[in-house]
Amino acid sequence: MTVVAEVQSRPTTIAAPRGALRTLLHHPVGLAGLIMLGLTFFVAVFAPLLAPYDPYDTPPVHIEDIYQPPSPEHPLGTDDGGKDVLSELIYGSRVSLIVGFTAAAIAIVIGGAIGIVAGYKAGRTGSALMRFTDFFLVIPDLALQIVLVAILGPSLVTIIIVIGILGWTTTARLVRSQALTVRERKFVARAHAIGASDWHMIRRHIIPLVMPLMLANAVLVISLAILSESTLAFIGLGDPTVISWGKMLNFAFDRGAVSAGAWWAFFPPGLAIVWVVLATTLLGTALEDVLNPRLKRHHLEAGRDDVVRSVEPPPAVMIPTANAPLLSIRGLSVEFESSDGPLRAVDDVSFDLARGETIGLVGESGSGKTTAMLGLLRLLPPGGRIVAGQALFDGEDLLSLPPDELRAFRWTRLSMVFQGAMNALNPVQTVGGQVTEAIRLHDHRISKDEANRRTADLLDRVGIGARRANEYPHTYSGGMRQRAMIALALACRPDVIVADEPTTALDVMIQAQIMELLGGLSRDLGMSTIIVTHDLGIVAQVCDRVVVMYGGRVAEDAPASRLFAEPRHPYTQALLEAFPDVAHPERELHAIGGTPPRLDAMPPGCPFAPRCAHAFDRCDTAKPPLYPISDGWAASCYLLDPAHPAPASPATHD
Amino acid sequence: MTEPLVVADDLHVRFATQRPLTDSLLRRPAPSVRAVDGVSFAVSPGEVLALVGESGCGKTTTGNLLLGLIPLSEGTVRFEGQDVASMGRRQMRAFRRACQIIFQDPYESLNPRMRIRDIIAEPLRVHHVAVNDDDEQTRVRHALTQAGLAPPEVYENRYPYELSGGQRQRVVIAAALTLEPRLLIADEPVSMLDVSIRADILNLLRRLATESRIAIVMITHDLATVSAYADRLAVMYLGRIVEIGDTRTILSDPQHPYTRALLSVVPTTDPAARQRPQVLAGETPDPSRIPSGCRFHPRCPVAVAACRTIDPALIALGPDHEAACILVGSGPIVRGSSSAGR
Repeated sequence: MTVVAEVQSRPTTIAAPRGALRTLLHHPVGLAGLIMLGLTFFVAVFAPLLAPYDPYDTPPVHIEDIYQPPSPEHPLGTDDGGKDVLSELIYGSRVSLIVGFTAAAIAIVIGGAIGIVAGYKAGRTGSALMRFTDFFLVIPDLALQIVLVAILGPSLVTIIIVIGILGWTTTARLVRSQALTVRERKFVARAHAIGASDWHMIRRHIIPLVMPLMLANAVLVISLAILSESTLAFIGLGDPTVISWGKMLNFAFDRGAVSAGAWWAFFPPGLAIVWVVLATTLLGTALEDVLNPRLKRHHLEAGRDDVVRSVEPPPAVMIPTANAPLLSIRGLSVEFESSDGPLRAVDDVSFDLARGETIGLVGESGSGKTTAMLGLLRLLPPGGRIVAGQALFDGEDLLSLPPDELRAFRWTRLSMVFQGAMNALNPVQTVGGQVTEAIRLHDHRISKDEANRRTADLLDRVGIGARRANEYPHTYSGGMRQRAMIALALACRPDVIVADEPTTALDVMIQAQIMELLGGLSRDLGMSTIIVTHDLGIVAQVCDRVVVMYGGRVAEDAPASRLFAEPRHPYTQALLEAFPDVAHPERELHAIGGTPPRLDAMPPGCPFAPRCAHAFDRCDTAKPPLYPISDGWAASCYLLDPAHPAPASPATHD
Repeated sequence: MTEPLVVADDLHVRFATQRPLTDSLLRRPAPSVRAVDGVSFAVSPGEVLALVGESGCGKTTTGNLLLGLIPLSEGTVRFEGQDVASMGRRQMRAFRRACQIIFQDPYESLNPRMRIRDIIAEPLRVHHVAVNDDDEQTRVRHALTQAGLAPPEVYENRYPYELSGGQRQRVVIAAALTLEPRLLIADEPVSMLDVSIRADILNLLRRLATESRIAIVMITHDLATVSAYADRLAVMYLGRIVEIGDTRTILSDPQHPYTRALLSVVPTTDPAARQRPQVLAGETPDPSRIPSGCRFHPRCPVAVAACRTIDPALIALGPDHEAACILVGSGPIVRGSSSAGR
C-alpha cells in the first residue's frame, strides 16, 4: 500500500452519440457481434434466394427421404418430414429475428416509459411504479409465457406480444436509475427554473441522456426474446404455421432424430440459436462499453514509476538559498503518451526546498503542478513517464532509487496528501486503526502499544483528539477527515509533506484551521512542506517561498514577500491583477485574456507568450530559461535577460 | 434608492428529517432542520447583493426560495410587490421568465447532448418567445454577444465539450439572458473556474447589473470575490442573516463577531493588510440542533452570559448597516477591542 487515490468527483458522463458507431467499429467485440448479426440479417432477407428448397412447399413424403445424412443434394441432410434442413435453417432465421426485434421493441417501449416516469417522478408515483415493476420481476417469465401462449393460442403475434409484455422489467429498472441520475443534474434544475414543463424536461433532457443506455439494453433484450421464442417453440408452443429454429428442435427431439442418430436434424438449429444470441450479446456488451464508458481512469489510480531519462539533466540555474536544500529538483520533465506522440506536461522544472521551509507551488489547472509532484513521488499514471531530471533528496536521487527503496522512502521521508483524499479514508476501519496500521507498515519493530500511543499523539497533534480514534470516518466532517489524512501523512514522521490542494472544497474557516495546522507542523516539527494550490491567498498567508508554474514550466520562483510586492514575470503580474483581494475591494480586477495552453498545442516559445501583453518576437521562438533576479529569486522571461534587453522594455517591469 | 424588485420577508424553511421507526411508533415528533430561519432582505434593480456564508448556512436554500423552487414554511417573497406564493399559473410563468438562475458548475449546467444554439434557445422555446426561426436566431446571437461570446456564429453550432470552462459559464449566462430577466440568482458563479478568468465572468455580471439594471443575488462562500463586485453584503450563519449592509462599510468596519472572524481568515495577498487570523474553533453546528439564544454564542470569542438566552434581532447601526448581536451599538466589542490591526 502506498498512497490513497483521489476519489473521482465528476459523475459518469455518457459519450456523445456522434462517433459512437465509429468507436463500435473499432471495438473488436462489437465488430464481431455486428458482423454476426449482419450475416444473420442478410440470410433472413435473402432466404428465398439462398435456400436450395422452399421449406413451405409440401411435396409427398417418401420414406427414404426421412433423416437423410448430409449429401451434395442436401448439405445438411433432411429432417423427419424429408425436408432440406439447410433451407429450414435459413427460413427459420426470419422468425427468430422478427420475434426478437418486435418483442424487444414492445419491451423497451414499456420498460423505457415506466422507467423514465418512475425516475423523473421520484416521489409517490415513482415508488408505486417500482413496486409494480418488482411484482413483475418476481413472476417466473417462462412459466407465465407458457400459460399465456397456451391460453391465447400459439400464433406468431401472440408469441411476440407475450414475450414483449413480460420482458420489460429489467429495462424499466435500468432506465429508472439512469433517469434518477440525470434528473439530479444541474441543467435539469436550470430548465425547471426557467419554467419548463415536465414533458419538455423528459423529451429534451431525460430521453436523450437515457437513450444510449436503453440502446445497449435493447440489444440484450433482443437476445432474450429470441431465446424465449426458441424455448416456446421447442416445448411445442411455437406458431404451427411457420418454421423456426425452436420448432426444428422440437420436431427433431419428438420424432426420433436422436434415436435415429440424425445429429444434423438438431445440431444446426441449436448452433443457429447460439450464434444469434452470441451475436446480440457481444454487440450489447460492446455498446455498453462504447456508450457508457467507465469512469475515466484517474491519474492517481495506478502507481507507476517509469523513469526514462534519455539525456542527463541539463545544467539548471542554481538558485542560491540561505539554507542548504533538503530537496533539490533539477530539470524535471514529464511526458504523457498520446496518439499524436508524447505530450510534455512538465518541462524542465527546477526548484529547491530547504529544511523547515514551506513552498507554495501555484498554478492554474493544467499548469503541471500536480503532475510535477506525482513525478517527484514516481506515482505517475499509466502513459506518463519522467524523461529528464533529478530530484536530490539529501543528496540521493529519488528518480534513480530502486522500487523497494522508493516505497520505504515515500511516507517515511516524503509523504503526500492528495487532493480530495479526505473522501478516501477506509470507511470500515476506525480512523485510529488506519493511522496505527500506517505506522506499523513502515516500522515493523514498533510494538502495538507504542504504535497506539503514537496514533493518539498524532490525532491530538492534528486537532482531532485521541478520544475520537475509535470512530469511523463517516462520523467525521470534511475538515476532520482532512485532518485525519494529514495525521496519516505524518504517521511515519516524514521530512517533507506535499499537500495537493489541501483546502479545496473546505469552508473558509475550516480552511484557516487546516492551514494553521500545516503551518504549525513546519514550525514545531521542522518539517518542510510543499503546498500545491491555485489559491494565491493561501500562499501569501503561509508560504515562505512561491513557485509559480505555467504551461508545465516554472514562471517565477521567489520569496513570498517579494512575489506579492513586486512580481517580475508577466504571468505572475497578471495573475495577481486577476485575484480578488478582500483588503482592496476598490481595486479593479482584470482577467487574463485567452485560455491556458493545451498540452497538445503548446506554443513553441514561452508558453505564456500568446496571452502576454509584453511578448515580443523572441518569446515565440524559444523557451526562456530562469533568469536570476536576486538571492533566491528568478523568473523565466526574456524581459529579464541581462545580456539581451527587450526591444522596448515596458516600464511595468522595473 | 429605487423601489425594491424582490423583498424577502421573514423566510423560514423547515425540512422534516427521517425519524427512526421506534420514534414514529412512540409518536415522537420528527426533528426538523431549520435550514433558513427568519431571513429578510430586499434587492433593487441594478443592485448586486451577495449572500455570503459557510456551507450549511442556508444561502443556497435562500436562493431557491426566491425563485419559488422549494416551498416556504413561513414568510413571503414579493416580486414587484406581488406575493410569489399566491401567483396564479399565468403570473407564475411570467415570474419564471423574469427570474433566472446560474449554477456553480458550468460542466453540469449544460446538457452535453445539445448544441449551444439549442441550449440558449431553450428558454425562448419554453416560453414561446420567438415569433419565428429568424427571430430566435437573432435573439440567440444577441445573447451570445451580450455574454461575451463573439462572434456568435463561431459558438452557436458547438457542443458544450468543445468549450472551455469560462466559455461554458458564459453560455449559461447567455441562456439566462435570452428572456431578459430582471432578477438573476448566481450560485457560486466562478468557484469552478480558473483564477485567471474569474474576473471576466464577474465583470460581465457586474456590467449586466449596472447597464441592464438586472438585480443580482450572488451566492458565495468567497468573501474576496464578493468584495469587488457586490454593492451589498448579507453574511449568513446557521440559517439567518447576522450582518447586512453596504459592502464597503461591512468590509472596513465589520460589527458582528462572526463577520469579523470570517474576514480575518480570508487570505489576502497584501502583507500590510494581513490581520492575525481569528480562527474559530470547531465547526458550524448541525442546523437540526441550533443553539439556544444567539446561535453563534458557542463559538463566539466575545460571548457573554446573556448571549445564551437572548436571540438577537438585526439592529440598525448606520444608514445601510445592520447586525444581529446584543453587544453591538453599546456593547464592549465596538469600543476598542476591534480585531482589525491586532
